[in-house]
Amino acid sequence: MKDVSRLKRVLDQGGFAVTAECGPPKGADAEAILKKAELLRSTVDAVNVTDNQTAIVRMSSLAACSLLKSAGLDPVLQVVVRDRNRIALQSDILGASALGIRNILCLSGDHQSFGNQPQAVGVFDLDSIQFVQVARTMRDKGTILGGEALTKAPELFIGAAANPFGDPFAFRVVRLAKKVAAGAEFIQTQCIYNLDRFEKWMAMSRDRGLTEKTCILGGVTPLKSAGMARYMKKKVAGMDVPDEVIRRMESVPAKKQAEEGLKICVETIQRLKEIPGVRGVHIMAIEWEDKVAEIAEKAGLLPRPVISKQ
Amino acid sequence: MESRISQDTREQADKKPRISQGVKRTLALFYCQNTPESGEAVRQALEKKYASSLRLFPIPCSGRLDPLHLLKALEEFADAAYVIACPEGACRYFEGNLRATKRVDMTARTIAQIGLEKERVGIVANSKENPKPLAKLAEEILGRVSEIRPSPVLERPKTGKGTKEKKDDHSRKKTH
Amino acid sequence: MITAERKPIDEIRAMVAPYKRVLVLGCGSCVAECAAGGEKETGMLSSTLRMANKMEGKDVLIEEKTLDRQCVKDFVILLDDIVDQYDAVLSLGCGAGVQAVAEMFSEIPVLPALNTEFLGETRDQGYWVENCLGCGDCMLDDFGGVCPLARCSKQLFNGPCGGSREGKCEVNPEIPCAWQAIIDRLDRFGSLDRLEQIYPPKDWSRKQGGGPRKIMREDQRR
Repeated sequence: MKDVSRLKRVLDQGGFAVTAECGPPKGADAEAILKKAELLRSTVDAVNVTDNQTAIVRMSSLAACSLLKSAGLDPVLQVVVRDRNRIALQSDILGASALGIRNILCLSGDHQSFGNQPQAVGVFDLDSIQFVQVARTMRDKGTILGGEALTKAPELFIGAAANPFGDPFAFRVVRLAKKVAAGAEFIQTQCIYNLDRFEKWMAMSRDRGLTEKTCILGGVTPLKSAGMARYMKKKVAGMDVPDEVIRRMESVPAKKQAEEGLKICVETIQRLKEIPGVRGVHIMAIEWEDKVAEIAEKAGLLPRPVISKQ
Repeated sequence: MESRISQDTREQADKKPRISQGVKRTLALFYCQNTPESGEAVRQALEKKYASSLRLFPIPCSGRLDPLHLLKALEEFADAAYVIACPEGACRYFEGNLRATKRVDMTARTIAQIGLEKERVGIVANSKENPKPLAKLAEEILGRVSEIRPSPVLERPKTGKGTKEKKDDHSRKKTH
Repeated sequence: MITAERKPIDEIRAMVAPYKRVLVLGCGSCVAECAAGGEKETGMLSSTLRMANKMEGKDVLIEEKTLDRQCVKDFVILLDDIVDQYDAVLSLGCGAGVQAVAEMFSEIPVLPALNTEFLGETRDQGYWVENCLGCGDCMLDDFGGVCPLARCSKQLFNGPCGGSREGKCEVNPEIPCAWQAIIDRLDRFGSLDRLEQIYPPKDWSRKQGGGPRKIMREDQRR
């Protein structure tokens, strides 16, 4: 049976895709990732596995994706350019494909100074856009950088991340255009709290014709508390948490804040469904994976469509 | 001695070298020549008055002070090295006194790294409302540094009574 | 220029501890410019070391000399007459200087008093910033005179990343985002459209492809 990217199939069929994020354990514990994945089965079309997120050492994304694949899920391999040179990156693409992994998300990665190995060298041999281009060329032309031919080309649905909220705002769409030009077939955005700003970015993307060429999935992260909202506003680069969201979280007693956060998340997804050009949602409920099913249910995303394997 | 002194105080006094008797300490004082009444005649008179306890070095502005001046003084003859600067905002060259402050701070940090007390260096800005003459400032600073223990850097001839022997780890050992 | 900062005194003292006759050697070029190893700093370090030794009753000869440049053989050779008097040289040169002296006088230990840091500019008095990585393949014309290698924390060629906030880098808000600067600069020149092209991967072999690099100019050699 041919390995397929379920995510790609759902999008090809015109459906509103649902993906979620899963962080591998800080240990060699295969069970840990499989347990998390079970919470997501039948709730999402594909599961992103992060790659040493925040520069903290975790089980490798490639290994974790392989475990998920064996469990019958459709993993999205996240790869950062911070830790690997072009030799390793291209090698991992071949390995992923060989293991039946069919989705890849090409990222820069958080700087090494944020994590638990701040003394490490940051590789950054390629940047994320060059990496998308390399992946695409490997798949479509069957060659690596420099032109040498592969014995068998990888099969991958290639994606990149986008941040509609980083500065400078006007340039964000140019960067998206570059990612699309490099070959990104799907885009997962940074989590959205400021819908007005997101809509502006979507409008600019539509104007440039980018929504025809790539599938944009809007990112959402449910807030657990007002404290979390404030933290993300202040401390996390590239995040836009409007004051009214914080006020809304603060307006309910502490015990009810998680519930309010989930409500906001569901409302956000419902709004995203209305925005032309948004082809799906990417739910990043980090360390709260057990809520994804509830969010998906309340946002009217379930059941997930049946796709033909052909 | 006086019977009023408790045993504790006696023991306390015995722990440290008695600093007020017999051991001469020397202050190197770098002063801005814009300090009131700081001409050559005054300088000579003060050096005569305080003999080897005070050595005065005129500089055209405290901003001309280099950390090296303070360090050399401490290395060669001084238990303490201070700077007299003009009041903030009143420097004839605008910023000299501010720069001097930074350099003194840097010197203090440097000497602390080798185990010398930071108080061995310092900067005194003259008063804006009531600027004092050099003689007065010198006297005040001498008072300020009078409690500093004799510098462990300097070699001193052993004097007779009243001098406490330094602890073993500071004793002069010739190594060859 | 090359920038450097003096190592902590404790570290320097530990390095010179085995030696009895030390030449403290300054350099009048880059390290003097960044106030780390010039004549003044050499004097200050020597004085400090002598004081520390006196306090511990250690009898060590510490003398000073400053060369115009420690990285040029013609200056280093001036030490030829005196270097035998010492059993170690404590160099306040940058790494290049320390090694040039060590090359010339290989029988005497040459110790580094400084930590050499980066190629950079004196942005303001007392303030130096890194701006060049010596990649051997200068692309400054493509980026409006702002180097994305040296000044972008992630060395992006197609930046900015998502962490750029109000012109500052996510790694440290004091660091200006190089990509913001590149965008502003090219915008001013009216060539922002350059950035629409995907900049290809860097040829790193010009930096490290052949091991440590050298330049040989026959027209300059004797």
